[in-house]
Formats: sequence, structure tokens, C-alpha cells
Amino acid sequence: MIKINNLSKIFRTDLIETHALRQINLQVNEGEFAALTGPSGSGKSTLLNVLGTLESFDEGDYLLDGRSVKGLSDRELSALRNEKIGFIFQGFNLIKDFSLFDNIELPLRYRGFSSAERKRRVEHALETVGLAARRDYHPSQLSGGQQQRVAIARAIAGEPRILLADEPTGNLDSLMARQVMELLEKINQQGCTILMVTHDPDQARRANRHIQIVDGQLNDATLYEPLIAAGA
Amino acid sequence: MEAIIHNLKLSWFSIKRAPLPYALTLLILSLGLGTFFSNATLYYWMNRDPIPEKSQTLFMARINSLPGDCTDCLEPSRVMSYMDMQKMSGSGITSAEAAMFSSDAYAKTLENQQATPAKVALRITQRDFFALFNVPFLYGEAWPDNKARMEVVISKNTAVKFFGRIDVVGQDMLLDDQLFKVIGVLDDWSMLPRLYDVNGRRSAEPTEDIYMPLETAYDLAIQSNTQNSFTDVDWDGNIATYPHMARTNFANMLQFWVQLDGPEKIQQYQQFLKNMVADEKAAGRHPRPEGNRLDNILDVQKAMRATNDQLDAFALVASLFLLVCVVNASHLSLNRYMANQYEFSLRRALGASRWQLQGQILADVFVSSALAFVAALLFARLGLWTINALLPGTRALASWDWQMLAVMAVFVSLVSYLVTLYPALKTSFSPLNQQLKQ
Amino acid sequence: MSVHLIFKSLLRRKVVTALLLLQLAVTLGLVVNSLLLAGAARQLVEQPTGLELEQLLTLWVKPTSAAMRLEPALSEVINRQLAAVRQMPGVDSVAYANQIPLRQGGSNWNIFEQDRQDETNIESVPYYNSSESIFQVLGIELITGRLLTELDRGTTNIVMTEKLSRQLFAEQNPIGKVTNNGVVVGVVSDFFSQRYASDAFYGQILMAPLHRAEQGYHLIVRVAQGQSDTVRKQLTEVIRNAEPQMDIGTVLRMDENRDEVFRSEIGLATLLAVLSGLMLLVAMISAYSHAHFHALQMQKEVGIKRALGASKARVLLDVLSESWLTTAIGAGFGILVCYGLNISLAKVISIPAVPVWLPLLTMVLLLLCVTLATWYPARIATRISPATATKTL
Repeated sequence: MIKINNLSKIFRTDLIETHALRQINLQVNEGEFAALTGPSGSGKSTLLNVLGTLESFDEGDYLLDGRSVKGLSDRELSALRNEKIGFIFQGFNLIKDFSLFDNIELPLRYRGFSSAERKRRVEHALETVGLAARRDYHPSQLSGGQQQRVAIARAIAGEPRILLADEPTGNLDSLMARQVMELLEKINQQGCTILMVTHDPDQARRANRHIQIVDGQLNDATLYEPLIAAGA
Repeated sequence: MEAIIHNLKLSWFSIKRAPLPYALTLLILSLGLGTFFSNATLYYWMNRDPIPEKSQTLFMARINSLPGDCTDCLEPSRVMSYMDMQKMSGSGITSAEAAMFSSDAYAKTLENQQATPAKVALRITQRDFFALFNVPFLYGEAWPDNKARMEVVISKNTAVKFFGRIDVVGQDMLLDDQLFKVIGVLDDWSMLPRLYDVNGRRSAEPTEDIYMPLETAYDLAIQSNTQNSFTDVDWDGNIATYPHMARTNFANMLQFWVQLDGPEKIQQYQQFLKNMVADEKAAGRHPRPEGNRLDNILDVQKAMRATNDQLDAFALVASLFLLVCVVNASHLSLNRYMANQYEFSLRRALGASRWQLQGQILADVFVSSALAFVAALLFARLGLWTINALLPGTRALASWDWQMLAVMAVFVSLVSYLVTLYPALKTSFSPLNQQLKQ
Repeated sequence: MSVHLIFKSLLRRKVVTALLLLQLAVTLGLVVNSLLLAGAARQLVEQPTGLELEQLLTLWVKPTSAAMRLEPALSEVINRQLAAVRQMPGVDSVAYANQIPLRQGGSNWNIFEQDRQDETNIESVPYYNSSESIFQVLGIELITGRLLTELDRGTTNIVMTEKLSRQLFAEQNPIGKVTNNGVVVGVVSDFFSQRYASDAFYGQILMAPLHRAEQGYHLIVRVAQGQSDTVRKQLTEVIRNAEPQMDIGTVLRMDENRDEVFRSEIGLATLLAVLSGLMLLVAMISAYSHAHFHALQMQKEVGIKRALGASKARVLLDVLSESWLTTAIGAGFGILVCYGLNISLAKVISIPAVPVWLPLLTMVLLLLCVTLATWYPARIATRISPATATKTL
């Protein structure tokens, strides 16, 4: 599903070079639910962004679904993101002027689905996250947990191969966090690969794989191995 | 005081932080204001009351006395004949009355006979002209009656121009080779708009150089240089017969002004005209329908169709332009304030009250007003210069006095406040938590 | 982005959107009416005059001595001036006249066919009291009858323009007809006399005795092609040398007289054109800063869209299409404004009605301006890194 070889990412300013990712090798298989942990500034988000093709990388290679993303044009990368990747952010990142329906529909529009198909998918996604009755609400009318569920609905409406979640419960209280986690697990059981950045040891434990990142380097923890509390 | 300076300083910082949006807002606002001011200036001079102390009592009288049996000729001629003037004078109702027309001549002094004569503007009129329009005398006085006499009243500038001094009463001068004695010198006097003679749309022209008795002008065959209308005149062109012909034919060129003190006098004079026309009709004259007109001095431009339509049209458009600019500027200023919203909220979170923030906003308005005022005046000057170059007869209407400047300053402040008001309210009164969370 | 979604987002920013729409609408209304006025002024100026404007110079003069304004001194002075001008190289011919063509107003007589005053009377018909060279100078052609010669001086024979003759006598032969101003001996081609006469192309020419020149008189000079500048430079001097006691006006070429006649219209059209330019500029500034501000404000939104798979081109199109839609709606209201303004303006000045295609054309112009102004901020918006934009503070 995801395969990266010797991937490095360097942030350059006039004065300093920061190696955000150093020669990372990682393979994520279809159907996995992987948790990515690490202290602040360790490069988790950068890695997630690179995997999501939101950021480019400097060295190495990244194969998504067997295809290298290197040298793809902006248009091709955008299409790739649109079709194969779903994003869930810590800050939900819903468009506040849009209704729930419009928010979820947006990536489907980019995909070029017919309006009937879009409607079917949006409704299905809303049902999955349990918000079907509120399709015409605006994000500001919802609680944080509900907003994140909308974001999840938006991410899965296009039936992506992989879901990238960046601290999806970071802004939520524990009850809501649990609901979101249960939702993600449900989605994973339906066959969607999930890679989730988290600070929460409990959540990391719930994933079926745990990857640690420290100073831009990976430490692939084994399944079910007790978590060593990260610095954060 | 210290708070004000603090606020001004903050205003300045916020300008410096984003100079381009601020400059654009200011540019747009002052463009609109400048255009509006340039037009308003012209409009003000064109439509002001030049003689507010007695404008309510001054009227131009006309009767529809032209020959020719024409039942649908209801509008009297723009200019009257000598015979009309005689009939409309001497009612005993008016406090002052004078007939007049404009002309020109070539003048020189006796001492300087060899010089090339200089062209002067003449007002041919009667004794009461000076009383009618409150014309101030510096030396001498007007003629004692309306009889022909080789005597003129001249303006102060004319005295200086021809004699090099101002007390020239008793001096002689040559007008078109005729010898005249100066019996009066006027003090500085102007009338803008020059409503006593708006024929030919010349209301923005300066007052005349030399004033000559009407009877003398008829004797010398001096004619109007704006409008002469001859109707059914049989004249061989012989100059010797002109004085008689012009006094006994419909050789129309006069405007007749009366002063009527109060509504009663106005009504009486109207009745007088009515009776006179009835008598005329009974005597077999005045064949056209009665069409007496008594136009107040403030309505005379309209009555004589001497308004500047282009200026009116431009006024409409300039107001629209101002509207667009104000709308635009408030839009830009809204953007600007929204960009500063975070700072506003932070300061409120730190304990600034809404009214303290209003103080900040007022400081902003003050700074913008000052800058916009200066820029608007510059644009207005540019606009006036352009309009003067493009539209005829507007050159005399471009000056500002202190009063106008003060009104413009107040107007700029109001508009600046208006432009800032909504955005400022929106930013300082919207819920705190929403903004800080974003 | 779909129109429906743009609408939604516009509706959520009611005040800003209303301000923007109002401004666009007024701009369109003003630009349309300015274009109309400019077109009308141009048509006025460029209408055929029946005269060869570039080859005619005109000059007003008036003797500064009263005695010289009377006969016989007057004729003597005029003849001296005419002879002097005729001598000048580049001069084809010269005539004097009480007035020149292509003016707003001037000296007019009414005219009617003798004994048929009620049916045929025409008020305000310009008359030209001149010399026999006037026909050659103005370059007007004989249509029927004969031209006036010096033998006609002092008689009541007149020549009139074709349009006037047709109005007075319809299809009848005008030659020999008797009018209140004299007997018609010839009809000549039409030329533009006075704008505010009964008709601009009415004119009557005669050779009456001069008597006096209280209002001065005009000299009209026909110059050889391309000679007008040379002749013009020397003309004043030649006239002054012929008679020093003379007030001499400015030498004007006939096309300058024409521009003077339509000066109000040309002036207003130019003013409005300048103002329209300013309005478009203001609209562009507004579109620019709106887009710029929103590019910053909507960084996050753009970032989200990019993360969800919108390409740069798509985001660019989004920003632009919002501009286009707003402009189009504003311009839609603008069509109402433009008709409203047209009606208001028609109350004070003469302005043609709005043809249907003009607002549409102006809308395209407006769209073009707005696109131009939105382009740069829109480009900036697409450069926002989605990774940064979607990051939580």
C-alpha cells in the first residue's frame, strides 16, 4: 500500500538546514491501522504530510499503491490525493461557510462524480458517522466531536485506499475521542488502511501497529508491545 | 492627552504594518471626495444666492408684447423693447427699477489720445441699477435721473487701468470716440453668479467695467452684444434715424428689473402689469396672449434657460462616483480591520473596554480624515482644472473660501467616520471567544 | 467551484457582498452612459458639414474707431483688408461676412413666401450678408438658378440653401419666388450654419449695403490644401498692416469653430470618460484587494481544498470564478442602474437611449478588468502550502 525507501526531507532557511526526516524506510500494508507517535518536533506531521503528498521530499522514493509519486505534476498529485487519500486533521478543517453536505461533497466534486453519485456517497458517509439528520447544518452549529465526525465522513466519502489522521482526537474530550476512535476502527474493519498520528498511548495501543518516530528516524515498534511513554 | 497620543501612535503603527491597503483605501476615498468637491464647488458658485440680503425682493419683468397674431405664443421674448420698458416703468409700486443691456466699446483717456483704445465691457442701464443690486460707490454717485447725459460710472479696476489712480471723478474719457465725464467710481464689486444678466449663459462672467445711461446709449446707437431681436422693423440702416427707430419699434434688447418690497408689492405690481396689458389690448396693441412674467432673481437662470446642463449632469455622476468610492473604501477598510481583528480581540482580552477601543477607532478616523482631506483637496484642484479646460464658462467658479474649506473638512471627517464605522463596530463588538479561537 | 456554492459563501458575507455588488452596478451604469455620451458627442462632431473645414480660416475684426464702423469708411477698410489677404501666398480666396457658418447662434431673420406668411413662415434662419466670393470661399455648389455677383449689391436678390428652399417651396421651382427678405435667384448646396437656428442647414445669402458694423464682421479665408498653418501665422499681421485701428480676434480654422460649437458635449463626454476610467480603476483596486484579502483570509480554506485534492489550477479557477460571478451579478444590477441613470441624465441633457448590446459589452470589459486585477492575488492563493494551511495553531 505505502512503501517508502530512504526518504529524507530537509527544511532549509538561509542559515540552517533542518533534517526533518532522515532516510526513512517504511511499509504500510493494506488494511493496517497504524499509529505514529513521537515527541513534538520529531517529524510525525512532516511524515504524514509527505505521505499525503502535501509536502515534497528531497531524497529517496515513495510508492503509493505501487506507483512512485516522484516527478508527478501538481495536477497528477492532486488527483492522486483526491482519489486515494483521505485526510483527518486535528483542527477538523471544515469550511465554515459550507453546510455539512457541501463540505463532504467538495472532494467528490473534484473527482468529477455526477450529482446523483455525489449525493448517494455523501448520504452514505453521513450515515456512517451518524449525522445523517444534520446534513444542512453548518460546522459552527456542531460540537467538536461531531465536527470531527464530519471531517471523517468527508475523508471516507471518496472511498480512499488510505486514511491519514493527524491527531484526530487532539482537540476533543475523552468521551468524544472514544467515539471518534470507534468510528475509525469501524472504517478500518471495512478495509480502509489508516495511519494515525497520536499523542495518546491508549489510542496507540488500540492500533494494530505502532510506529515511533524520534528526530526524524523511525523505530517500528512491534505489534502489541507495551508502549514506552514518549517524551510528550 | 497621553491616551490620545498613544492612540494616534497605534493608528500610525497599524498604517505602517499594512501601508498598501491603507494607501489604496485613502486613494479611493480621496478620489471620490476630490471629484465630488470639484463639482460641488462649481455647483455652489453657479447656484448660490449672490445677494442674500435682498434677493427676495428682486424681480425681472417681461410682457408678451411682440406683434403678430400668434395664439400659441405664450412665452414672452427674452428681451424687451424700449416701449415695453416705458410701459413697465413708473408704476409707483417699485422701490427701484432699471432697464439694462450689455455692450462693449473701445476706451481711452484724453491725456493718452494716441494710445490704442482698449476694449471695455459696458453695462447700459438706468439710475436705479446701483440701488437694485447694492453696488458700492467709492467716489461720486449715480446719475440723478434717467435722462441722457455724457456721464459714466466706472469700476475701480477701470479707474486704475486708465488713470493709474482711483479718485477720478470729474475726469474725461473717450468711449468709441465720444467724450464722457466720470461721475462715480465703484468699490470692488462682483456678483457671482451675475444674475442680473444671464442671457447667453454669461452668468459666470465678471461685472462690467463702465456703466452708461440708457438714453445716451440709444442716442449713440449702441446696441446689445448679447441679443437684439428686431420684429417687423422697417429701417433703412441709416444711423441718423436709429435713436427714433429703436425707441418706437420692436427692437428688443432690454432686461427690466424691479425691486418689490414684500408680497403685497409683488401682488400690486402683477396687477399693474395685468391692467396695463388689458389697456394695451383695448387700444389694439399687444396681439399675443397675455404672458406677463415676474421672475425672482434666484429663478431667473431657470426662466431664461441659462443653467449649465452639463454641470448638472456631471453633478449626478460625481455623486454616484462618490458613492462608489465610499462603498469601496468601507469595503477595503472592513478588510483592513478584519486583518487587525486578532489584535483588537487580544487587547480586549487584556482588559481594554469597548469604549477604549472606540477611542482607538476615533484616532484612526482622525488620521484618515486629515490625510484624506489633503489628498481630496489636491484631487479637487486637479478636477477643477480639468473641468475648466473642458466645459466653457466655468473658469470663474473654481475658487474656495474658508467657509467652503471648513464645510469640506467636516464632510471628509463624516465620510471617514462612516467608512470606518461599520468595520470598527464589527471588529470590536463581535464575540471575543470566536475571534481568539481562530 | 459550483455557482451554487459560491452563492452560498457570498450570502454568508452579506455586507461585503452588498458593498461589492453596489459598486459594480454603479460602475457599469456609469461606464455605459459615458460611452453613450462619448458616442453621441463623436457623432455630433463628425457629422457632415458641407464645408471643407481644414481649408477655411476665420477671423473676427472690429474697427476700434466708431467712424470707421460706418459707411463709406467701412467698405473702404474692408476692401483694403480683402486685397491684402488676397495677396498672401497660399490664399485661394477671401470674403467678408456679417457672420460665419458653424456657430451656435448668430444673426437670423425669419423668412416666408410673400403672401403666404402663415403657411410658410420659418423663424430664425441665419443670413449671410457678404460679397460674391463667398460661394467660392465656402466651396458651396450651385444647384439651380445663379449665384450672386457684385451687380446684385443693393438689390433684394437672395440665394438660399437647398434644405431651406425645399422647406419653403417643396417641389416647386424656387427661382423667382418672392420672400419677405427678397427674390430667390439661386439655390446652393447645404452647409452647417447655426446649431440652434430653426435648422442647422438653413441659410440665406444676400449682398445688402453694409451701413455699419456695430458687432464687427468676419473674414473667411480659403487656403490651398496644406497651407492653413502658414497663412494662419501671418494673417493677423497682414490685417493689422492693412488697418491698424482694428480689434482683431483669434484666427480659427473651421474645424476649431466646429469643436467650439460642440464644446459642452465634447467636454462632458471627456469628463465622463475620465471618470469612467477612474471607476474602472477603482473597481480593479477593489477586486484586487478583495481577492488579496481573501487569499490571506482563506488560506486555510484553500489549504483544505488542496489537501482534498484540488489542483492549483482548480483553486485559481475557484478564486477567479468567485470574482466573475460577483462581477456578473453586480453587472446584472448594473443594467438596471444604467437604464435608471440614463433616464435621470435625459432629464438634464440630451443622451441617446441605451442600446441592448452596450451594457453587455461593458460587462465584458468589466469582467476583463476584474480578471486582470484578481489574477495576481489568485496566483498567490494557489501557492499556499496545504501542509501549513491545514495545521492547527
